[in-house]
Amino acid sequence: MSNGIPRSKSRARSLFSTAALVASVALVLTGCSGGLGGSTDGGASAGADGEPIKLGMIAPFSGSESAFGDYMKNGAQLAVDEINKAGGVNGSQLELLTEDGACDPTTAVSAANKLVTAGVKGSVGGYCSGATLPTLPVFNDAGVVMIIPAANSNQLPAQGLDNVFLINGTGTQQAAAAVKYAQKMGATKLAVVDDNTDYSKDLAVSFTQQSKDAGLDVVLTESVNAGEKDYSANVNNVVKAMPDFVYWTGYYQEGGLITRQLRDAGYAGTILVGDGSVDKKFAEIAGAGYTDNVFATFTQTPDMLKGAEAWVASYKDQFGDEPGPYSTQSYDAVRVMAEGFKQAGSTDTKAVIDALMAIDGFQLFSGPLKFTPEHTLSSGGFAILSISEDGTFKLEDDLQG
Amino acid sequence: MASLFGSRDRIDDLLTAPAPFVKRPEQNKGLLHPQRFMNMFGLIVFIAAMVLPFISATPYIISILTSALIYVMLAMGLNVVVGYAGLLDLGYVAFFAVGAYTSGILSTRLGWSVFETIPVVLLACVAAGIIIGGPTLRLRTDYLAIVTLGFGEIVRLTANNLAITGGPSGIHGIRTFSFFGWSFADGATLFGIDFNSKVLFYYFVLIVAGGLAVIGAARLGKGKLGRAWKSVRDDEDAAEAMGINTYRVKLSAYIIGAIWGGLAGVLMGSHLTAVSPTSFEFLYSALVLMAVVLGGMGSTPGVIIGALFISLAPELLRDFADWRYLIFGVLMVITMIFRPKGVWPANAMLPWLHRRSPMRSAAERDESDEAVVVTVPEPPEERRP
Amino acid sequence: MTQLIWNGLFVGSFYALVAIGYSMVYGIIKLLNFAHGDVYMLGSFTGFLLLGSVSGLLGTWSLPVLLLVLLLSMLFTGTIGVIIEKVAYRPLRSSPRLAVLITAVGMSFVLEYGIRQIFGPSPRVFPVRLAGDPIFFLDARITLPQIVLMVIAAALMYFLQRYVMKSREGRAMRSIALDTQASLLMGVNVNKVISRTFFIGSALAGAAGVMAGAYYGSIDFLMGFIIGLKAFTAAVIGGIGNLYGAMLGGLVLGLLESFGTNWLGGQWRDVFAFACLIAFLSFKPTGLLGERVSERM
Repeated sequence: MSNGIPRSKSRARSLFSTAALVASVALVLTGCSGGLGGSTDGGASAGADGEPIKLGMIAPFSGSESAFGDYMKNGAQLAVDEINKAGGVNGSQLELLTEDGACDPTTAVSAANKLVTAGVKGSVGGYCSGATLPTLPVFNDAGVVMIIPAANSNQLPAQGLDNVFLINGTGTQQAAAAVKYAQKMGATKLAVVDDNTDYSKDLAVSFTQQSKDAGLDVVLTESVNAGEKDYSANVNNVVKAMPDFVYWTGYYQEGGLITRQLRDAGYAGTILVGDGSVDKKFAEIAGAGYTDNVFATFTQTPDMLKGAEAWVASYKDQFGDEPGPYSTQSYDAVRVMAEGFKQAGSTDTKAVIDALMAIDGFQLFSGPLKFTPEHTLSSGGFAILSISEDGTFKLEDDLQG
Repeated sequence: MASLFGSRDRIDDLLTAPAPFVKRPEQNKGLLHPQRFMNMFGLIVFIAAMVLPFISATPYIISILTSALIYVMLAMGLNVVVGYAGLLDLGYVAFFAVGAYTSGILSTRLGWSVFETIPVVLLACVAAGIIIGGPTLRLRTDYLAIVTLGFGEIVRLTANNLAITGGPSGIHGIRTFSFFGWSFADGATLFGIDFNSKVLFYYFVLIVAGGLAVIGAARLGKGKLGRAWKSVRDDEDAAEAMGINTYRVKLSAYIIGAIWGGLAGVLMGSHLTAVSPTSFEFLYSALVLMAVVLGGMGSTPGVIIGALFISLAPELLRDFADWRYLIFGVLMVITMIFRPKGVWPANAMLPWLHRRSPMRSAAERDESDEAVVVTVPEPPEERRP
Repeated sequence: MTQLIWNGLFVGSFYALVAIGYSMVYGIIKLLNFAHGDVYMLGSFTGFLLLGSVSGLLGTWSLPVLLLVLLLSMLFTGTIGVIIEKVAYRPLRSSPRLAVLITAVGMSFVLEYGIRQIFGPSPRVFPVRLAGDPIFFLDARITLPQIVLMVIAAALMYFLQRYVMKSREGRAMRSIALDTQASLLMGVNVNKVISRTFFIGSALAGAAGVMAGAYYGSIDFLMGFIIGLKAFTAAVIGGIGNLYGAMLGGLVLGLLESFGTNWLGGQWRDVFAFACLIAFLSFKPTGLLGERVSERM
């Protein structure tokens, strides 16, 4: 280390390599068109013959929520393939571009900008509300219609942007279903547990509010930290409050553990879980014998609908895995987007928005589609599911009667 | 007049330092003078960044460059704390959060313009710096590390739990900067070229972060305070013995770092139009620290390179999709193994200075002719930051 | 009350097992090994694979098989720990300490996303679950698996303590922690001892990983990150570099979390734990059992 000679070479090399890097970056950039001085209509002219219509999807592929990225991507890809096989939209094929949003605003915004630069005509992604919110203005500025399959914070429609559509039921709608079921079960003392993320907290707050309005007593609101394994301290709080109905609003990874630990700690009442927990893994994690008296609020699942076995089979066939949370919503998002393009006859932003608003009765997994003036689903279509022996969720109560 | 101590010449002889063993090469003149060269180099990079939007102004390029510049500002702030003052800070995004949230809350709830929130942000950051630094700066490195980590987590969780900070969804709808009724959102047309709001904001960030923040931090590091920081870093006890109030010097480094971080937070909030607690997880503190260490602690060009690498590498690796963090990790390990002091360390020498270095010429002579014995003075101990 | 204490001690014993590795490595080469939590994760995935391959034996021989798997996983993660040290830390031993910190974070990324590439991002479920009927002791619900796991943890810590304090190799470790240069001059093979330290620390983390997998049932590629942070905190509370400190710190952190959750609710738990840590360090800046060390970055 005391001899300066070998290092001096590498230092010189580093300087020159930096210079070379700068030069090569400059060369690459000059290759691109669309500089400030030049013509600024950089986006590809979509809809023309042979040119595919690009759909963008921002989903988490890295970080703690990355399990959901592939479910969404696969669901959307399935729809794109089906539509392309049937001849595409307006004579053009669809093409799905996915980018990692990592549930982080910075990453999501640059992903959105990347998609806009790539010339997408529609966005069918959006998983974490916190990371989806800052992408709204980016897509809005570029005139890209967004159909958001998963993120369902009440903040999203509250922005009042006319290019934003939500096809997942909002927290308010899901909480309404949960409260309705609690009343039906005759529960009086409710506890709600969330995982301190935006989606889960939003749902928990809605649930608490609506329970109070319905005259039910919420004895405890508890937050856990996502990503941990031991929730005995939180469970202890729940058990001590002695509720007869617990609503878990987070995801299945923690949901399974909490269900198991609740039962181990002697809680025997009803456990209801939110749509983020509806996954086959939930029962696996909770373990055999731990899923009695456990229910879920969820939009209709594929196996409740006619012809859905074929859908699940083709999903498995193509990706070698079971569909997961938000696979169906992502699949539907692409179909709704394609329907919008078809009805509008073009990919023009204004026309597509009008066409989407005019849709009435387009069949989704969650029921017939009709957008409200706030661009959310007119009915959430939430039903109550129970868990069968093999860990799959099945319809328990459609809450219609 | 003969003096008691002999002739005048003799006194001069006594007073002059002995001649060096190896003749010192002369200073470079003109553009090759190291300081001047680096200034020129920096100016060229700056101009290149100014020209860049004329070459490509896609929303994606502008967006990631704006983020990268904000990272440069963050890293320069952390460089003051870690690189100059030698305080290991694992919770630096706490200040980023304080700045972003203060400005976000004031601008969305009270309808202030983002520009007007800056004085309040400065106050908040100084307060945060004192609150965090005050009780903890007496601790040595690793205890300081965990305490700063703890503060970072406390700030994030508090933001996540409170209603005023928007809970887990955070704050959204932050407007861009506006000055006396004119806002970037209005756009501008100069010399027949349309500048949209994103490009204007990019230029603004370039001037504030790329220009003022970098030059400001670098000049602070060279001044009296900067030398005090470095002396505290190199030997705290010796610094104290030389009359430096080490506690106050460390606290000042902390506050400067807090201000840089907070202002970067204001810029980031305005850039993303939203702030959410997920942006302030421990991982991001680690990433900014990585920018500083990877580039070279205490070295301005190094830290800029590090920050650009940390912010742009995940973007450039996007095409590798699932593999990108794996590759990122491998790159980090490899870089550190081959350049343990960072890509461009603080005591890096420009290549032509090496060729003239007395050490090197002596060593070359050694190699070429074993018989000639040249007494080479011990090289100065390399500074260990 | 007793329930809270029991919960805290149980969680704390996991923290303690991981914290020991942190603390030992720190004591010897003054490195915050950020990849340590990921070795814990690696341990649970190794256990998952091994148990999957012997699933036929699980019905009757559950506990012995589990213990065997535990040992094998410890061997594996220990070896991985040694390799990590050789590849990522040893070349940088004479470099600034922060450089090694960066390679540690880099290794952590490599382990996390390497496992993600192999096993996928969604959680895996352990093939064997420890379950048992609760026993009531002073109003606290205690289950047999909890007791078994705590006994295993205590046994591992006991053997470690004997090894470090009584054996020749342990003395070499302590001498390096005290003064690397001097021990080198006294004929201690420093590289070998450091490798051994990494082996032991990683093996303990791996053991904790397998135990967590068997008890909680689900494992995922990011599970090491949080526990790594917690173990670091625990090691500092106890006085980093001090073996007993790490054990004590783990238990203290477990108790703090348990009581914090009870008093303030789950969302303020970490705030409470960190605030206690900061307040405590402000008064006793070297941790519970740590000695004043003067060192520089």
